[in-house]
Amino acid sequence: MLEIQSLRTGYGPIEVVHGIDMTVREGECVALIGANGAGKSSTLKTICGLLPARSGQIRFDEQDITNRKGHAIVKAGITMCPEGRQVFPGMTVMQNLRLGAYARKGADLDQMLDMFPILRERAGQAAGTLSGGEQEMLAIARALMSQPRLCIFDEPSLGLAPKIVAEVAETIARIKATGMTILLVEQNSLMALRLADRAYLFEAGEIVLEGTGAELQTHPEVVKAYLGH
Amino acid sequence: MTEILQQIINGIAIGGVYVLIALGLTIVFGILGIAHFAHGSVSMFGGYLTFFLAAQHGIPLALAITIALITGMVLGVLIELLAYRPVRHANHINAFIVALGLTMMVEGANLQFFGAEQIVIPTGATRVFSIGGVTLPELRLYVILAAAALIAAMTIFVEKTKTGQAIRAVAENRDAAILMGINVQMIPLVVFAISTALGVAAGVMVGSLFAIAPGVGEGLVVKGFAVLILGGLGSIPGAVVGGIVLGVTEALAAGFISSAYKDVIAFVVMIAVLLLRPQGLMGRA
Repeated sequence: MLEIQSLRTGYGPIEVVHGIDMTVREGECVALIGANGAGKSSTLKTICGLLPARSGQIRFDEQDITNRKGHAIVKAGITMCPEGRQVFPGMTVMQNLRLGAYARKGADLDQMLDMFPILRERAGQAAGTLSGGEQEMLAIARALMSQPRLCIFDEPSLGLAPKIVAEVAETIARIKATGMTILLVEQNSLMALRLADRAYLFEAGEIVLEGTGAELQTHPEVVKAYLGH
Repeated sequence: MTEILQQIINGIAIGGVYVLIALGLTIVFGILGIAHFAHGSVSMFGGYLTFFLAAQHGIPLALAITIALITGMVLGVLIELLAYRPVRHANHINAFIVALGLTMMVEGANLQFFGAEQIVIPTGATRVFSIGGVTLPELRLYVILAAAALIAAMTIFVEKTKTGQAIRAVAENRDAAILMGINVQMIPLVVFAISTALGVAAGVMVGSLFAIAPGVGEGLVVKGFAVLILGGLGSIPGAVVGGIVLGVTEALAAGFISSAYKDVIAFVVMIAVLLLRPQGLMGRA
């Protein structure tokens, strides 16, 4: 579904992703793991059109989407739940959700509120007044509102309490169970590998390892560097 | 008591003009972070154009105003595309310089096209209503009603329409707005079209209530920014509250203290408000 070939990207004069190849197949949950600054989030931003690719190609559904405008990529069926949640703080929960459906006609708010009951309780509240966990749920729900075919999560557990992290993991697992194709970047490598069918390990802007979630969970290098036991 | 009421009504009329100017400035500032100094001069262009069409070419006033509003929208789009878009990703000082240069250009164009003579848009609205000792000239009433209608329309547009929500989204978080599928290249065009149309409406009001002459626009944009700071930068309710507060304070000051000091008093009140609420009346801390 998503194919990336020799992708290079970066900020200003600094290149942070040095030619990576990866794929996400339909219905699959793929995780990108690795240390801070390894280029995972930059890769996601480049897919979504927030960061220009320097070279290489990104294909989605056999179509070249490299360096297309961000809004066109959303229209193509890719959505991202961004790092740090990025809800619209002054707007209500409902307004945030409706914006999630901006790129398409209609909006089945009820279905989404059934899936996230906490958001129904907070419907009229400004998003900025929600707790971190609630904001994460809102960001996830807002991303799903566009009815994407590929849903990207960038650091969904960042800055959340352990109990909330478990909730977020459970939510992503539920979304995966609906057959959604998922690309996940997560600092919490154990959580990521448990959720993922396949994973790529990033090191200094390159992919150094690829395998199933289960394989990487027991891979000595991963265990030593990222799972810490 | 009637005197106070009288001054408050006068203040609301001029406050309505300030609100329209400030709304235009605040949506531009909220979306693009630009201090659009040329806004006052562009507004005056709208007033001049209305005068030119109505008084000099005998076009009915309502039609003249409509033409001026539409011209304003087109002008707004052109200003964004030709003046501000090229410096979009440059240092902020560049947009600042562009704004100052644009002010001079528009002022110069106004002088060239419409001359240095002071003009007053003839409205024919000369009746004066009197309610319990308070006099309300017909024209002031129309200005207040028109300003209220435009503020209401603007609020409904921003809160209830998809495009309005997209504008708010871009103002709150540009990257997240892109992820919603919002075309962020289009939004500034819409914002400048609306902003300039509101400015033209204010220009027509100034031209009919008072007079338009070279320099009036610059004075008005200073008031507009004062309202913006008073209300809270980028805040739409702030622009409304701030504009009314400034207008009424000025009118009360002029009525009870001295009209020569009305600006001084209005700015003293503004400074006092900012000492207590540095983020402005409706701004977020």
